[in-house]
Amino acid sequence: MSDTAARPSLADCARTQLRVIGALVIREMHTRFGRHRFGYLTLFLEPMILAIGVGIIHQLHKGERGVRGSFEMYAIGYVLFMKFRQMIMRASGAIPSNVALLHHRQIALPDLFFARHLIETAACTGVLFLMTFVGIAMGGEYPDSPMKMLAAAALMFLLAQGMALMVGAATTEWHGIERFIHLMTYLFLPISGLFFMLYWLPPWLQEYAVWVPTVHIFELLRDGQFGEKYWTQYDLLYVAKWILVTHLIGLAGLRVVRGRIGLE
Amino acid sequence: MALDLIDVHKSYPMNHGRKHVLRGVNASFGRGERVGILGRNGSGKSTLVRVLSGVEVPTRGRIRRSMSISWPIGMAAGFLTSLSGADNCRFIARIYGKPSQAVVDYVESFAELGEYLRMPVGTYSSGMRSRLGLAISLAIEFDCFLVDEALSVGDTKFGRAFAARLANAGLIIVTHSPSQVRQLCTRAAVMDQGTLTFYEDIDEALATYNSL
Repeated sequence: MSDTAARPSLADCARTQLRVIGALVIREMHTRFGRHRFGYLTLFLEPMILAIGVGIIHQLHKGERGVRGSFEMYAIGYVLFMKFRQMIMRASGAIPSNVALLHHRQIALPDLFFARHLIETAACTGVLFLMTFVGIAMGGEYPDSPMKMLAAAALMFLLAQGMALMVGAATTEWHGIERFIHLMTYLFLPISGLFFMLYWLPPWLQEYAVWVPTVHIFELLRDGQFGEKYWTQYDLLYVAKWILVTHLIGLAGLRVVRGRIGLE
Repeated sequence: MALDLIDVHKSYPMNHGRKHVLRGVNASFGRGERVGILGRNGSGKSTLVRVLSGVEVPTRGRIRRSMSISWPIGMAAGFLTSLSGADNCRFIARIYGKPSQAVVDYVESFAELGEYLRMPVGTYSSGMRSRLGLAISLAIEFDCFLVDEALSVGDTKFGRAFAARLANAGLIIVTHSPSQVRQLCTRAAVMDQGTLTFYEDIDEALATYNSL
């Protein structure tokens, strides 16, 4: 924008950015979990307890057999959804609380988000594995294709990241919308695809459901979990378009916001 | 190596219209130069510091940087009170790509924090905090150090470390105190109503400043 200098090479920039993100990850780990080791546990325990709770409730549902009452279906799906929601909610206010960091010119706004998201991704992948083992231990079946499950997790993170960048920029510009975003993430739950599979829906409703990007991600997840046993349908190109567009809008938004940041 | 400001404007949105703080600042700071910038309260000094350090982006105009500039010396920029002083040092070291242990050792050598270096910054007294801030600021080698407001240098441990750093680095002091400009700078400028005027002669700058 208004800064030009003897331009360092792209490789130099990439090295600097990786160094900065690494430093931010360590800092974020230290602050979020303090020097008390208990914090590292909550990163895994909190989502696990919630996921196990949700999984068991659905398992106990009377009259539901097969996949509709299965622990793995809800527990694993819930881990993904919860991280999706958390990443978006944490994005609001992420910039104002870190403005002082911008005194260090190597730190760019997106780095703040990438660092957080790396931690969330690592934690979630760990929990995903654990939940899969718990599911097997509870009498469930082995996943049909772990790679598909991991792909679903990766897509969910990229989508959440794009949205988090947008939310981070928007909440810096308009403080009032934080509560609104909180509300939206809750209202999004029933249509997200976490609690249904496409083939359960009547055809007219399916037509609308496929507009929701996370529905495709959950279908991919279930294909990975259950394989051919149930009918799944997903369009990964559609999800990729969402990821691309949210990233572009989010990064552009951060660029606009960067020019307006003022310290008190 | 230089830092150039070309017609830099900065304005902030107000309830009615915008407040124009910098109105076309032009400046060129060369490598190793020691420049004092004098300004009364409300002249746009703090805004100039933030634009120089890069925290804020100009509304209009350009900044060309071909040398590294410190964050305002002594400022606890991005320090977290929940982390220990040493952890904060390591964070800064990582950001700037310096060996962590060297930065911690440097800070340990003259911040005089003792055991507290391994305690959360939240437990520090204000004096300890400012010693930590000063020590970390000087632990990184910059081409040019940025100083916001007068520092009590003198013949203290910090003063000597500061002088050692300045032996091969430039300095930009933004202050309302003429005495330090006279003591440390070779060139001076006066900030008034959002514009910056340079004077080759320090006495001339001080005379102008005193007549404001």
